[in-house]
Amino acid sequence: MSILVVVERQVHGVDELSLQALAFGRALESGADVHALAVGESGEALAHVLGAHGVSQVHVAEHEAFASYAPQAVARAAVELIGRLSPVVVLAAGTERGNEVLARVAALLDRPFAANCVESTGGEPLRVVRQRWGGSLLEEAELPLEPALVTVAPHVVAASPVNGHPAAIETFRPALSQEELALRVVEHVQTEVEGVSLADAKVVVSGGRGTGSPEGFAVIEELAGLLGGAVGCSRAVTMAGWRPHTDQVGQTGTKIAPDVYIACGISGATQHMAGCKGAKRILAINTDPEASIMASADYAVVGDLHEVVPAVSAALRKARGT
Amino acid sequence: MLVVSGWLFARRALFLVRLVRAGKPVERFDDMPGRVRSEAVVVLGQKKLLQRVVPGLMHAFIFWGFLVLFPTILLALTWAADPDPGLGASSPLGWLERQGWFALLVDVFVVLVLVGVVTALVIRKVQRPERFRGSHLREADLILGLIAAVVTTLLLWHASLIAAGLNPWPAGWSPISNALSTLLPGGHAADVLERVFVWAHVLVVLSFLVYLPRSKHLHIAVAAINVFFSRTRARGRLEPLRFDAEDEADLRFGAGTVSDLTWKQALDAMSCTECGRCQDACPAWATGKALSPKLLVMGLRDQLFAEGPAVLDGGEATPLVPTAVTDDVVWDCVTCGACVQECPVSIEHVDHIVDLRRHLVMVDARFPSEAEPMLRDVERASNPWGKPQAERAAWAEGLDVRVLQPGSRSPELLYWVGCAGSFDERARDGVVATARLLRRAGFDVGILGPREACTGDPARRMGNEYLFQTLAEQNIRTLDEAGARTIVTSCPHCFNTLANEYPDFGGRYDVVHHTELLAELVQDGRLSPSSGDADITYHDSCYLARHNDVVAAPRELVSRIGRPLEMARSGRRTFCCGAGGAHMWMEERASPINEERVRQAAETGADTLAVACPFCTLMLDDGVRQSGRDLRVADVATLLDESVSRRDARAETTAS
Repeated sequence: MSILVVVERQVHGVDELSLQALAFGRALESGADVHALAVGESGEALAHVLGAHGVSQVHVAEHEAFASYAPQAVARAAVELIGRLSPVVVLAAGTERGNEVLARVAALLDRPFAANCVESTGGEPLRVVRQRWGGSLLEEAELPLEPALVTVAPHVVAASPVNGHPAAIETFRPALSQEELALRVVEHVQTEVEGVSLADAKVVVSGGRGTGSPEGFAVIEELAGLLGGAVGCSRAVTMAGWRPHTDQVGQTGTKIAPDVYIACGISGATQHMAGCKGAKRILAINTDPEASIMASADYAVVGDLHEVVPAVSAALRKARGT
Repeated sequence: MLVVSGWLFARRALFLVRLVRAGKPVERFDDMPGRVRSEAVVVLGQKKLLQRVVPGLMHAFIFWGFLVLFPTILLALTWAADPDPGLGASSPLGWLERQGWFALLVDVFVVLVLVGVVTALVIRKVQRPERFRGSHLREADLILGLIAAVVTTLLLWHASLIAAGLNPWPAGWSPISNALSTLLPGGHAADVLERVFVWAHVLVVLSFLVYLPRSKHLHIAVAAINVFFSRTRARGRLEPLRFDAEDEADLRFGAGTVSDLTWKQALDAMSCTECGRCQDACPAWATGKALSPKLLVMGLRDQLFAEGPAVLDGGEATPLVPTAVTDDVVWDCVTCGACVQECPVSIEHVDHIVDLRRHLVMVDARFPSEAEPMLRDVERASNPWGKPQAERAAWAEGLDVRVLQPGSRSPELLYWVGCAGSFDERARDGVVATARLLRRAGFDVGILGPREACTGDPARRMGNEYLFQTLAEQNIRTLDEAGARTIVTSCPHCFNTLANEYPDFGGRYDVVHHTELLAELVQDGRLSPSSGDADITYHDSCYLARHNDVVAAPRELVSRIGRPLEMARSGRRTFCCGAGGAHMWMEERASPINEERVRQAAETGADTLAVACPFCTLMLDDGVRQSGRDLRVADVATLLDESVSRRDARAETTAS
């Protein structure tokens, strides 16, 4: 009896989430022969890492197609290997790529597939519990074996090394048709986010309707730049088309949890506050002392952001001597 | 020929009947008196068509015309078969063809039908209203041509009967046929002409019969049935999904393919005649969204007819989204029901949309990602913004409202506050005012505080029926434990859910909206407002006015507080604020619905925009700020509270 785990690689070794999937798979069928499929170059390091996580044999698919991410080609290689090994379960990590590859395997084999599993009690058919709704709903499902197709949700089990020997390595060249080579990554483009991303920023400076115009954001951007923070905005601003939706903080935008949140000219509608309730400290700058954000803010300045914000920036510059 | 056309008709009719019978079950055999009533009002009375006067009368002329003229088809068939049928005066047809009054009716209705056809052509060719965009226009022309041909050949046949001296009725009773007959030749030529016209008439009628079930004109056969099985009560109620269905075939998770449609939904699809009244009324379409309720139903119909034969033979059907409609269309809907209100054949578009959403959400987990926090927070925090439940009663501090603890004495009146009114600062004004007014009128008011959870309305309208039912069961347990009998609520969405949807899960309460209760208190003199000088236009909430017929009470209040001004779209034909159908928690593409509604409100010249829904409050207040207009948005309760306090203050001044 054997299981097969499709692993994703990192520059130096194997992705942590794939090692977790290996641990999940080993717990499923104790005593099973554990096979791994990797694509790209073979090497001793690979044999050591996977061996240390209980893999007895690594199958390395070699092909020019694997120079970049090519999901259909990986899926075809996996199907070829499944044909040879007849594993009872095929697993991968519940990552974007792991889910995509196994979905394609499922389509090629015309088999059901359970993505993002968090638990399995084994058995035949295989009983699994899997995440739906980004984790807010758990679904119990049953999958036929030989093979059951499963991805493992990130961080539901820990990777568990064993005192294993380095895995045996077998390389093979999968037979790939032209169509299977068509789907591949041709270029990586960096998104034009300058500095830190909104969701991770330690400081966020946001502007609301009070900025008055797209140009009104110049002072917001300046302050955010000085503080090494990100620029955010309210829904009113995106509705008016002044900033892209990716900048929106709120219930239907990005939810942020910075150390300091500076809200300028934002009234503090419930929709907005739902997005910044994770902020440790809130500083509100608003002309209206009755604005609801004043009640939720730790510090409040009653004043026009077009005067207050540049003054803060100037004070910062002065203090830093720049 | 009769056999061939009859066979062609019957074959198609049988296919349609099988398609409907293959539909999933839905309970539509209750309330028979109500069904008979809607048949009388909507079909015979043409009530919904007459919501638009000219096109309505045009249709009514043709429809009533065909009801009156129907016996003439049978008469023509017998006359065509036998030049001298010699129908006895004792047979019903024989009796009828001898009646002068019937001949007169035929003459009058032939003219009315022709007037109807000409009006329809003028509407279609000259006026060309926007609502026909996307409809099959040439098919409509052909049908109008056939209708004109049916009545023209009938008139000519009657005239030729008189010319040949064969008319069974006294010729003087039918002035138009009689006048026409003088233009026809007499003698043997008249006999020949009579044969020509009767056969022409029969041929036109039979070709109509064959064409009918293959065209959108199928509605003349299906619409009356569809109206009969439409909702008679509680229009805002959604059909519950039964997750505990014993027979697996009855278990459905909304509509993924045509084989998931209920039989009523199949009937809906067949009934559409592409008139576009729904499209005209749709706030999503009016603001440049992808959704047109008409194109939605046409898309479903086309896929139903295309895949129907295969499905009936046990074959597989393909997904409805994105073939019949795209994802955008499904998510653009605000479930306001304007389309359902307008539809002359009682198609229930909102049910289709929600069933498509249910399948996308529960089976495919495919929905606008920005709505996910709402669903998660409703489930985890019992409110859509993820606010701490412990703060739910914070608004009520100092208002002398009882927060009901387990085991508390049952309240005279249970105030169901709703999430928006509990947590949102702007929506709170109306809630605080309502509580103050109810206390002033002497009510013992109880609230559930932290034990009140979201009713599940936004989750349900998003398609997450499972989450909705979980919340419904939880809330019903809480309400029953608290001994709730009469519930007053400020939120029309809560109102609709509590009154119309919780009974499906065993929760039966007497539910009133705060505007209804406050209007009653003002009438009884328990609250005395003083009239002010504000020009107030009242915006009807869809879930209050259209889905639940609460139209008069808020207007009574407004008229006691200030000078009322009506918007063009008001009452049951109101225009959504843009928040319904969980759109409060979705981003809006194209131009915003709330700004359009604010524009309509500003057109009245009012300085105050009165509302009776916390979500309308938020949406319209945002719309006012966004468009920079000088308009105050306030709940009717807030305005009433101010007005009552004003009177108090005046009384005090006078007293001192």
